[in-house]
Amino acid sequence: MRAAVTPGERVAALAVRVTGLRKSFSGRGGRVEALRGVDLSVPAGQIYGFLGPNGAGKTTALRILTTLLRADAGEVVVAGLDVSSHPAAVRRRIGYVGQRGGADIEATGRENLVLQGRLYGMGRHETERRADELIERLDLAAFCRRIARTYSGGQRRRLEVALGIVHRPDVLFLDEPTLGLDPQNRANLWDQLRRLRDTGTTVLLTTHYLDEADQLSDRVAIIDNGLVVAEGPPEELRGRHPAGVTITPRPGSADLAAVAAELGREPLVRGARIDGDTIRVDLDGATTGMAAVFDLLRARGVEVLGVSLREPSLDDVFLHETGRSLRDAGHPATTEAIAS
Amino acid sequence: MTFLLQTALLARRRILETLRQPIWVFMGMSVPLMYLALFAPLLKPLAGGPGFPGGSVLDVFVPGILALMAFGSGMGAGWIVIGELDSGVIERLRVTPASRLALVLGTVLRDVLMFVVPAALVLVVATPFGFDPHWAGLAILLGLLALLTAACSAGSAALGITLKQIGSLAAVVTGLQLPLTLLAGVLLPLSLGPGWLQGLAHANPMYYAVEAARDLASGTLASATVAEGFAVMGAAALLAIWWSTHAYRRAMA
Repeated sequence: MRAAVTPGERVAALAVRVTGLRKSFSGRGGRVEALRGVDLSVPAGQIYGFLGPNGAGKTTALRILTTLLRADAGEVVVAGLDVSSHPAAVRRRIGYVGQRGGADIEATGRENLVLQGRLYGMGRHETERRADELIERLDLAAFCRRIARTYSGGQRRRLEVALGIVHRPDVLFLDEPTLGLDPQNRANLWDQLRRLRDTGTTVLLTTHYLDEADQLSDRVAIIDNGLVVAEGPPEELRGRHPAGVTITPRPGSADLAAVAAELGREPLVRGARIDGDTIRVDLDGATTGMAAVFDLLRARGVEVLGVSLREPSLDDVFLHETGRSLRDAGHPATTEAIAS
Repeated sequence: MTFLLQTALLARRRILETLRQPIWVFMGMSVPLMYLALFAPLLKPLAGGPGFPGGSVLDVFVPGILALMAFGSGMGAGWIVIGELDSGVIERLRVTPASRLALVLGTVLRDVLMFVVPAALVLVVATPFGFDPHWAGLAILLGLLALLTAACSAGSAALGITLKQIGSLAAVVTGLQLPLTLLAGVLLPLSLGPGWLQGLAHANPMYYAVEAARDLASGTLASATVAEGFAVMGAAALLAIWWSTHAYRRAMA
């Protein structure tokens, strides 16, 4: 087992370093540029999310990082090794859970685990022990001796995650890991991924769910149209965008236009405007900004009937960078998947 | 060493998969037996005539049936491969350090086993009905046809990975099956046909296997035909395995 590392130690090392990554495919409608010069640095020991709509290039990037696909140009270093010159050595250090899962449905869960371990060169007894350990940890005991064809979606996904980590990889890659899972199984998987991170494994996943990128990931790269359009910890990315506060004053209790103009001059306020019977204020930093807004409203004798706050989301970041909402971007099929 | 272990582990997985589908085992056994029971009687009147010199018609017919079994046992591999492309199994295995050749050979070994066992059964069943077995020749014959199974299995898997769709694979395999088996003289000896048909057969690798199989079944072990059969089948198997390994290496789901 790997010794737990403190957060300070982790920051120094990079699990993945990508520079100038390009990949294009020739399709029926001519050449399609899937990746148009991607640069990334994934710190070791974190959960890192690739967020973007379908067709953005997330899966292509992941497939190159996991040796499944060759890049046209650029340098990719995973776990300290160059992917194009040392694919075999990279494979020993990484785990991969693909979008289609990859469990052998004609075999039992336990057989799947044992074969996977042995293919990574683990000894028979070591593999058996490791399989039992994972069966307990991922709660597979009730069904691991049944044929995987009979598993529910959540059971199968847990097996597939176990398959990805049998050999204790340094970096675990997951392609849309929670697609099609119900909320309970989704929360369970998030917990498992956090536990992995806490024992020192770097987790890199693609997602088009905003909350998955936001709440699960320590850092995200927002990818659109083959390029990284924003990168950083989610709260930092969100923090660059204002929170929206909508204030509903008692009608006639104050001169709204004057109040709005005055609010607009407050240091943390980016803008304030009248919208019907309400005042809309864009705030940098909702917590401190709100106090200042309310102090001013009280001083001007504005009687407040209601307040609503909308925190900035990664969708605001996406919208700001691309001019589209993540919900509307990408292939039509994606929009359904996001909504479901 | 690692390679042999990986091959054994992957073959074991395949064999377990087969044993869990008793219908496969049952159909694998019953189809050749039905040929013997239902088709062989049609040939009875031809005994002693052209293409069936002396003895029982089964002496000519059984090697052909065995070749057909060898072909059929191998050609199923592509269907399984396409299923595994869709379920992501191949992608998962490709991210492991497992040898690509071992991935191919695991399936090939299972298919060879799934040919040899029912084939031995057919020989045992045919003997009381007038088939004249030369056991040493038959042992070598099974070895020769195992190469045919290996070629078909690896070739079918490579086709599956390349075509990615069951429908396309089915079209190609059915399209190949008729000319390959007919022009090999599997059911009826080609000596019954006109010269141009016999000439065309020489372009069919399976023809050499069936010709060699008939020699071996009749107890002729050291003929040029047998040597030719092994040379052609060995080359076909190697070529197909190379193609399949190459396809696994660059497979994209």
